[in-house]
Amino acid sequence: MLLKNAKIVNPSNNYEDYADIRIKNNNISEISKNMNPENNEKVMDLTGKIIIPGLIDMHCHLREPGFCAKETIKTGIESAINGGYTAICPMANTNPVVDNKETLKYIIDRAHEVSESGFYPICAVTKGLNQEKITNISELIDNGAIAFSNDGKPIENMYLLREALKYVNSQNKIIISHSEDSSLSEGGVINEGKISEVSGLKGIPSIAESMAIARELEVVRSISGARYHFAHVSTKRSIELIRQAKKDGLNITAETAPHYFSLTQEDIKEFDSKYKVNPPLRTKEDLNAVVQGLKDGTIDVIATDHAPHTLNEKLLPIQNAPMGMVGFETALGVTLTFLVHTKKLSLIEAVRKLTYNPSKILNLENQGDIKTGGEANLAIIDLDEEWTVNAANFKSKCKLSPFEGFKLKGKVKYTIIKGKVYNAY
Amino acid sequence: MKHLIDIESISQSDILDIIESARQYKNGQNIPNLQHRTAALMFYENSTRTKCSFEIAGKKLGMNVINFDTAHSSLSKGESLKDTVENLYALGVDIIIIRHSLSGIIYNILNQIKCPIQFVNAGDGTRSHPTQALLDFFTITEKIKTAEGKKITIVGDITHSRVAKSNIKLLSKFGADIHVCAPSYMNFKNPDIYNITYHQDLKSAIKDADVVMALRIQNERHEKEGYPDSAEYKRLYGINSELFSKYAAKNAILMHPGPVNTDIELTAELLESKAGETILEQAHNGVFVRMAILNNLINQKGEG
Repeated sequence: MLLKNAKIVNPSNNYEDYADIRIKNNNISEISKNMNPENNEKVMDLTGKIIIPGLIDMHCHLREPGFCAKETIKTGIESAINGGYTAICPMANTNPVVDNKETLKYIIDRAHEVSESGFYPICAVTKGLNQEKITNISELIDNGAIAFSNDGKPIENMYLLREALKYVNSQNKIIISHSEDSSLSEGGVINEGKISEVSGLKGIPSIAESMAIARELEVVRSISGARYHFAHVSTKRSIELIRQAKKDGLNITAETAPHYFSLTQEDIKEFDSKYKVNPPLRTKEDLNAVVQGLKDGTIDVIATDHAPHTLNEKLLPIQNAPMGMVGFETALGVTLTFLVHTKKLSLIEAVRKLTYNPSKILNLENQGDIKTGGEANLAIIDLDEEWTVNAANFKSKCKLSPFEGFKLKGKVKYTIIKGKVYNAY
Repeated sequence: MKHLIDIESISQSDILDIIESARQYKNGQNIPNLQHRTAALMFYENSTRTKCSFEIAGKKLGMNVINFDTAHSSLSKGESLKDTVENLYALGVDIIIIRHSLSGIIYNILNQIKCPIQFVNAGDGTRSHPTQALLDFFTITEKIKTAEGKKITIVGDITHSRVAKSNIKLLSKFGADIHVCAPSYMNFKNPDIYNITYHQDLKSAIKDADVVMALRIQNERHEKEGYPDSAEYKRLYGINSELFSKYAAKNAILMHPGPVNTDIELTAELLESKAGETILEQAHNGVFVRMAILNNLINQKGEG
C-alpha cells in the first residue's frame, strides 16, 4: 500500500515535510518523495492530510474485568482506534485489580482478540491497590506489565511508596503517580473555590494535588536516579513544583489531560456530573499554567485519562455520581483546537506529547515513530476539518462528553495499525 | 415563577409580589382559593417549621397537601427520585416541596424529568433556602420598612448555612449593607464571593446593626474533623442580652431561622427577653409568605 501526497509530521527526527510512505505487510518499507505505485499496489491519495505516528495513551481505564457495563476491552479499544490511538495503557483499577499474572494475561488475551493495536497494561504497585504489599513486580513485567500505578487509589504511605519506587526502578520500570492527599480531598465534588462555595458542593482544594506532589518529590529526591511519572497534573502549583524539580535534575516526567487545558470550573453546567472528574476542572489560572507547562516542557505528555461510566451512574446527583469522563475520541480534536490552532503549541510539539514522548517514557517499541522498517502504526489527520462533537457517535460505551456540541477543528481520518487501515468517524 | 429553586433564579418583581401578597394574607385580604390543586411535601431532612408551615399554607389556600413519606416510600425499594417525581405528577401532584441534603438536587431532577411539575426548594444541602430568605425579608420590611442601607449582620455557621447564603443573595438585591461574623472554620473559604464585610470580632460585627441574624450551628453538615466543640464557639460568638443591647442599634431586631441551640448561639435570657420575640414572628410570617409562594407558582406569574 502506498500513502501518497500527505505531509508527514514525525517528532522523533523533527521531520515536517511531504513524503510518501509504502507499507508492506505490517511495516513501513519505504519513505520517500514522489513514489509511484508498484503493480497492483493499493494507493491512498492523502492530499491535504497529515500523517503522524499513531497516538499513544499512557493513561486510560477500560473497566474490564469487573465493570463491563461502563466499558469493555473491546469497546475501549474500538473507541481508542476511532480517536487515532494505536497504543493504549489501561490502568489497573478493575475488579479483580490487575495485580496478578492471571488477570494480566486475561486482559492481554481479550485485547488481542479485538485488534492488533498496542496494548500495554499498567499493573498495580500494591496488591488490591491497598496500602500494604507490593505486587510481584518482576513476574508482572515478564507477563507484559509496562509500568506500575495505583491510579484511582493513590499510595499515601510514604514508606511504602519509597520501597516500591526503589524496587520498580530496579526492574527498569516506572511508577505513575496519581498524586492526591485524600485528607484534603475526601468527599469533594468539584474544585474548591467560588463555584463550590456558591453551589454548596464540597470542594477539592488544589493543594490536595500539589501537597501530594511535593511530598512525593521528596521521596524521589531521596532515591538516587529514581524514575517517576506524575499523572493528570492540573494545578498551577503542581506545575511549579515539577518544573523546579526538573531543573534540580530529578528524572521525572508528567502528563496532563485535554480537559485541563480546555475546560475550567466555570464550564460546569448546573450540577451536571458529566463534568465531574478527578482531579476536578480547575480555574483559568490553573489552565494557563497547564498550557505554560506544556509549552516549556514541564509537561511531557497529553494522556486522556479516559474514564467511562454508565449513563445511569452519571445521572445520579453530582455528589453521588462517579468521577471520570471519556477522552479517546476527542483528545486529538481538543488538542488541535485548543493548543495548535490557537498557536500555543506547534503541531509537531503537540504530536510529540501525544506520541513520541509516551513511547520514550514507557520504552514502547514500534510506537511513536515513523521510520523505515518500523511497524506501520500511524494516524492520518485533517488539521483543518471542522466537526461537532456528538457523543452518541462514540464507539465507547459511554456516550457522555463534556465536549458535547463543541465545534472542534482538526480530526482523525484514518488509524493504521500494523498496516491495517481503520476509518475514523 | 415556574419554580422556586433559589434566589438567583427569581426576579425582583417576583420577590416584591410575594411580599405584597403575604402582607395581604396576613391581614386576611384577598386569599385565593386553590381548591383542586395538590402539593406534595418531600422532606428528606428533618423539619418542624418549614414543613408544617407549608402544610398550613397550602391548606389555608384550600389545596390538597400530601405528606410523602420519604422513609417508607418506594425510594427504599430503589426507585429513583426522577421516577418518584414523575409518578407523583401522574397521580395529580402540581407542586413538589422538597428538602434534601444534597445541594442542587432539584437541578438534577429537572435535567431528567419530562413532566411540567413545579418545584419549591425547602432547603437543599448547604446551598439555598429561598423560602426562609423570603420570610426573613418580609419580617425585616415589616419591622423596619426596608433593607436598603440597613446594617444586617449574620453571625455563625456561614459556610454550611443555606439560610445565610439565600439571605445574602436576597438582601444584596435590595441594597442591604451585609456583614458576617464567624469563626474561621465556619466562614466562607473564599472571601471574595459576595460583596459583604467580614468580621472576626462579634462586637464590631453587631455594632450599630439594624438586624442581627444568628444561625444554627449545622453540626450534621460538618466534616468529621477540624472543629472545636460548641463551648469554644460560644465564648467568642455566642450572643447574650448584654452584648445585644450594648452594641446593636436601638430597636435592632434579633432573628434566627430556628431551631435554636439555646445558650450556644443565643442565651436563654436573650431569647426570653423582648428582643427574642421576633424569632416566633418569623415562623408566623412563614405561613403567609409560603401561601404567597404557592399562589405565585400556581399562577406562574412572571418569568423563570
